[in-house]
Amino acid sequence: MLQTSLDPLPMKGPELGVQADDIEPPEIEQEPKQEVLENKDVVVQRVHIDGLGRTKEDLLTYEIAGVFRAKNLIDVMRKSHEARQKLLRLGIFRKVNVVIDTSRGEDALPNGLDVTFEVTELRRMTGSYNTMVGNNEGSMVLGLKLPNVFGRAEKLTFQFSYGTKETSYGLSFFKPQPGNFERNFSVNVYKVTGQFPWSSLRETDRGVSAEFSFPVWRTSQTLKWEGVWRELSCLARTASFAVRQESGHSLKSSLSHAMVIDTRNSSILPRQGGLLKIHQVSVYISDPHLNLVPTPLTDVLSASLWGGLLLPIGDKPTSIADRFYLGGPTSIRGFSMYSLGPQSEGDYLGGEAYWAGGLHLYTPLPFRPGRGGFGDLFRTHFFLNAGNLCNLNYGEGPQAHLKKLAECIRWSYGLGIVLRLGNIARLELNYCIPMGVQSGDRICDGVQFGAGIRFL
Amino acid sequence: MSFIPWPENATLYQPLKEDQILLSDCASSLAVQAYLRMCGLPVQVVCRVNAEYMSPSGKIPFIHVGNQVVSELGPIVQFTKAKGHSLSEALDDVQRAEMKAYMELVNNMLLTAELYIQWCDDATATEISRPRYSSPYSWPLSSILAYQKQWEVRRKMNAIGWGGKTLEQVYEDVSQCCQALSQRLGTQPYFFNKHPTELDALVFGHLFTILTTRLTSAELAERIKSYSNLLSFCRRIEQTYFEDKRS
Repeated sequence: MLQTSLDPLPMKGPELGVQADDIEPPEIEQEPKQEVLENKDVVVQRVHIDGLGRTKEDLLTYEIAGVFRAKNLIDVMRKSHEARQKLLRLGIFRKVNVVIDTSRGEDALPNGLDVTFEVTELRRMTGSYNTMVGNNEGSMVLGLKLPNVFGRAEKLTFQFSYGTKETSYGLSFFKPQPGNFERNFSVNVYKVTGQFPWSSLRETDRGVSAEFSFPVWRTSQTLKWEGVWRELSCLARTASFAVRQESGHSLKSSLSHAMVIDTRNSSILPRQGGLLKIHQVSVYISDPHLNLVPTPLTDVLSASLWGGLLLPIGDKPTSIADRFYLGGPTSIRGFSMYSLGPQSEGDYLGGEAYWAGGLHLYTPLPFRPGRGGFGDLFRTHFFLNAGNLCNLNYGEGPQAHLKKLAECIRWSYGLGIVLRLGNIARLELNYCIPMGVQSGDRICDGVQFGAGIRFL
Repeated sequence: MSFIPWPENATLYQPLKEDQILLSDCASSLAVQAYLRMCGLPVQVVCRVNAEYMSPSGKIPFIHVGNQVVSELGPIVQFTKAKGHSLSEALDDVQRAEMKAYMELVNNMLLTAELYIQWCDDATATEISRPRYSSPYSWPLSSILAYQKQWEVRRKMNAIGWGGKTLEQVYEDVSQCCQALSQRLGTQPYFFNKHPTELDALVFGHLFTILTTRLTSAELAERIKSYSNLLSFCRRIEQTYFEDKRS
């Protein structure tokens, strides 16, 4: 009894009489031809985007248009991937998935494909809280972001930053041209307060700015107009009279142009590529920044050069808030923060012309601890920094200026450890030996710590 | 008290004389100038657009002596005393207390009345104060700074109880103040008989400026003119201390 209940298969069935001549030779099944997919012609019949809420469709048609032009399957996959990247860079979607399927429906062609982008829009409003490390100061940043306000990738941002030295807030509106994301404009309104103890100066700027960016061939060009109400005051009763003389209110309007070519593969510790940024502002030309990094093995040699020139119009003297400052763990290491160059009673007044150069050799940490993980964020570096900062007497001519910038050069060398924080900032702990110190400069020889975004 | 020499390059800073400075600041500056002249301390007057912001206390005038910066008459008197110069040394304690009381009166009445007329009287504010105050700056900064100053002064007036006063009441207050001063002065050349003190400098600064400044209404000057001994007091000090060139 047990046997029969356990046994699901009928034990008795029709007798299969096996006759010798009933046996046919087994058919040899043909292996289906392995179709070489790359060569198979396809036609993309439909491209959908699913999951749209407030985003307007006309904005997206430009980004996905490329998919229609694909001719074979691999091309479809590649173009879909590119379209996905384009959709993501709009900054309005949290996730984009691509589904490629054969066409269905009445008008489906045998080699037709349907491509569907399944998107998840970002929330209408997001709040954020960050702590930020800027050039040697820390701050707490509260932000409110409204991505995709009107449905065409417009972005409204509000930011409030409370820092160890600076408090500021700003409102900004960004709008790209539909179909041409690299062409965009933004409008900002802001108030920024900064303290500069090396000059005993406090500066409050309230301003508006409008910026327009567009690509030209391989470069990105930006035109910006900015109007600022600038208020300067002394930070302490002991401020020098030279700084006291600059207290008060002023109105500054500037027009600037910047051109950027960036082929680096990382902005903090790049392994290859170069960044060229040339920035000119109405009255003054500042900051051509050249950073070349030839390729590596695991060691990276990096050179950078900064320079700036401030040209006043007419006879008016330059303002302390417009002049350049040099020195510190983010520029010429071994010197105190911005404590180089012209000064009065211990307050540093800045200079109208400067140059600074740095040469770095980055190597992985000795003995390579934590390799493959945490240890990769660290590097040891050997550095050589040099530069000069001075005021110019414009009656003397360019020869005299070059001579002035070339004499009494400050320089320093040393070694240290660099830690990369995400893709934003960098911490350094260096042992510095400053040289060429002029009277009036404040140095920080020995161990110096630096945190910031922009380093020489 | 050691005698520290007064440097040659002592400077007094005030706003631009022709276009910018207002009645109250001009009076305060003149008071300090008169005081320094009475002490025999030379000082050069320099006009700067941002004098108000350069001043450590935000008030006009301030002096730059050696590497020290001192603003307002009270602290400047203390400063010169520390350097060995004083006009009120000969006074006894009672007289000194009286002097301080009258200086308080001038500051609380005359100076406040000047500020009221400048900024709380709409006609004066619109025609004279705001245009002059904002003259060195370009638009829109000029409007912003002028209105900011006006609101600040009006808030202060409300805080001390002058916000509800009418112009007539303010003129009355000025008259009463002048009457008190006139009575104290009597027929003496200076408030404390033969020698001028900081009180004389302060009174001179305010009265002389009111008499020689054109406002929307001549009422204020008229009120002072009715006290003849104050008029001759002002003329006397002008002739004695400012006859070379009034700066």
